[in-house]
Amino acid sequence: MKQRRRMITTVVSILILSIAMLGCASNSNTNKEGAGNLQASPETTEAAGTDMSSYPMKTDKKLTYWAEYITVKPTIGEVPFFQEWQKRTGVPVEFISPPAGQEKEGLNVLLASGDLPDLIEYDWFSFPGGPEKAISDGYILRLNDYIDKYAPNYKKYLQEHPEVDKLVKTDNGSYYTFPFLRGDPLLQVYQGPIVRKDMLDELGLAIPETMDDYYNVLKALKGKGLASPLSITGLSGFSYGAFVGAYGTNRGWYQQDGKVMFGPMQPGYKDFLETMSKWYAEGLIDKNMATIDGKALDANITSGATGVTIGNAGGGIGKWLPVLRESNPNAVLAPAPYPVLNKGETPMFGQKDFVYTTYDNVAISATSKNIELAVRLLDWGYSEEGHMFHNFGQEGLSYEMVDGYPKYTDLLMNNPEQLPPAQAMKLYIRGNSGGPFVQDKRYIEQYLALPEQQEAIKIWANTDVDKYTLGLITPTSEESSEMAKIMNDVNTLIDEMTLKIILGTEKIDAYDKYMEKLKSLKIDRAIEIQQAASDRFNNR
Amino acid sequence: MEKVAAAGGMPDTRAVAVRRRFVKDFLTNKYLYIMMIPVIAYYAVFHYAPMYGAIIAFKDYTPIKGVLDSKWVGLEHFSSFFGSYYFWRILKNTLIISLYSLLFEFPAPIILAIIINEVRNKVFKKTVQLITYMPYFISMIVIAGMIKDFTKSDGIITMLLTYFGGENTAMLQHPQLFRPIYIVSEIWQKIGWESIIYLAALMGIDQEQYEAARMDGAGRFKQIWYVTLPGILPTITILFILRMGNMLNVGFEKIILLYNPMIYETADVISSFVYRKGLLEFGWSYSAAVGLFNSVVNLMLLIAANWISRRVNSHSLW
Repeated sequence: MKQRRRMITTVVSILILSIAMLGCASNSNTNKEGAGNLQASPETTEAAGTDMSSYPMKTDKKLTYWAEYITVKPTIGEVPFFQEWQKRTGVPVEFISPPAGQEKEGLNVLLASGDLPDLIEYDWFSFPGGPEKAISDGYILRLNDYIDKYAPNYKKYLQEHPEVDKLVKTDNGSYYTFPFLRGDPLLQVYQGPIVRKDMLDELGLAIPETMDDYYNVLKALKGKGLASPLSITGLSGFSYGAFVGAYGTNRGWYQQDGKVMFGPMQPGYKDFLETMSKWYAEGLIDKNMATIDGKALDANITSGATGVTIGNAGGGIGKWLPVLRESNPNAVLAPAPYPVLNKGETPMFGQKDFVYTTYDNVAISATSKNIELAVRLLDWGYSEEGHMFHNFGQEGLSYEMVDGYPKYTDLLMNNPEQLPPAQAMKLYIRGNSGGPFVQDKRYIEQYLALPEQQEAIKIWANTDVDKYTLGLITPTSEESSEMAKIMNDVNTLIDEMTLKIILGTEKIDAYDKYMEKLKSLKIDRAIEIQQAASDRFNNR
Repeated sequence: MEKVAAAGGMPDTRAVAVRRRFVKDFLTNKYLYIMMIPVIAYYAVFHYAPMYGAIIAFKDYTPIKGVLDSKWVGLEHFSSFFGSYYFWRILKNTLIISLYSLLFEFPAPIILAIIINEVRNKVFKKTVQLITYMPYFISMIVIAGMIKDFTKSDGIITMLLTYFGGENTAMLQHPQLFRPIYIVSEIWQKIGWESIIYLAALMGIDQEQYEAARMDGAGRFKQIWYVTLPGILPTITILFILRMGNMLNVGFEKIILLYNPMIYETADVISSFVYRKGLLEFGWSYSAAVGLFNSVVNLMLLIAANWISRRVNSHSLW
């Protein structure tokens, strides 16, 4: 009896509940539609009250802008750069940010919500399925017509730079963002080999150029008592082809005479692995190679346990040298060229960004109601005034004109609140963080204050990477999901193989066995896809 | 009793009787029903309603089109998961890590609770408890950082092991060492926290039973074996069954913080693999498919464990 009653109770409660839920569900539906209608109607009728003929424009609209932009200020709206940006363009902007460090997840959630802001700053080139899919899925706008109509400055730049024009559109010729562009080759290079020159001088050795030079240097450093003469952050240290490049191949994709190649499959890769495993066995490479992270690398270098590494001019030399000099005033970190096999050769690979860096570019969402305003807002960055403002900020505040050269003030370079230049800059300019404008060479000339840093980017820029790079190719959206499937397995295999052979858990002969496995992961199909994409790119 | 008999006897009046009984039941228990609404609503809204979203596992979901209008792709996501070159490896790793934690990490807090229970010195007891709880409150990122630090080539644990003849390299570079590191650190993190529930169960054991056992001449160990353990057996069983329902959910944050390609072969689990894939493409549907697979297997394990437990020691969840 009691049990029966309990069951009845349950059944009734569930009934009540499902009724309540049905009510909720239908309610929310009608609400949504209602809201949609409300929003749509005034937009279509009311377009007056705005003047977009010159900057600052006049408008009563407010744009929403999604971006990850981390500074010492808690929100983007409080950053002086963005406050002044709104004033100069005349467009009020409301900013939305994902949680710090979760840009990708944040965008994921944003897209899943279906409620998109007018402007989204993101790496749209790397959108899964490619930018063309972001357009066809209805997230962002195809900008071609709008650029023609509303973006005279950007359009002019593209007409003057056809090689950039090729990079910023898709195979179908769609423009999808207002990109961040590097205005000078020196801005495209920031990473390469770094050596402790003072130690080399002590040992009577020159800056290494060939693989043999590097070997001798490391050997000598080991003899001098250094615990880990060569230290890099795991496999990412090889990403841009340092050491691998000497053997005529790379860690990822490249092309030779129009033929797409997958680096690890080339015979040179085996030679590279053999050399590295020999170096590791002799104790020339850090013992913790697989687990080492940025923090551990910093410790190795600043404690003097490491004499050779791969690092950045700004975040490497600029970060380590002041710390090193505190304990050792004679320390010198000097750039070295990417290693080659035979003396006199030009390195095949090295780090070099495309003019269009793909990250931090701004797209306009497909659901935006204020397209013209948004386009004109972004186009300002490519105008003369916008160029100066994005790169140098406000005259008298963040820069002064000295003999026609915009010189950063102490507010940035020697901040009264003790902010390091990189952080102070983020508050007043976008020169060091990207955005919708063309970066100015005069930024890097001042940002890299140390002579070693200036020398570094010149030395590292001396590679043939332009000849071998694949370009910003875009597989079609079906291809790219197939590609992602294949490459997930392939990358797992290659990373595992590379580390295992270098660290000596597997002999070099295992390479051939891995190559057979690679075939069964359908690498040939991936090459085919890349080749087709590359051909389309070259025909743009 | 009368009513049941009446309802059974006359089939044509049965519906009426049932309805009358509902109404009567509702009237007598109306406050109970009202009190239940928020709880049931919570489960319905936050746990059951979202389940319809699981159908995206069979679709090519894009948010703009929504759950209902996205294209059906059938079992494509499942076949791409099962067909992955590494499927068996990650399944095996997941199960082994789960099994090891069941074998080694699950009993640890039970043993700790019993030991703490046997200690008579209050101050010592509290101190031990406090110290063992602590690691549980440290953020996972910090824990992983500490583990990495302790096990690198000149880390404190590596040095200790080297002293006893181990190899002087980062321990997280050796595939065979990953599982022990994972399990041991897991025990260290959770032992104190998880022992709380057993300590609570131990409080509930009637002291007279111990007295009786002592009268019968039982020593410390006999008392533990015949009084303490049976006393907390229901708790152990329930927690064990619940644990079975999580077999495929190996804590992936810790794994992605600790692993590297060198030890993929033992450390790569389903969730970390899917995470790597998820980073390449916004694979909502794919992740949903994997999640659904995990849940189904977990549910089956849970039911099996519950069934076995009911047979073996007559304690069960339901």
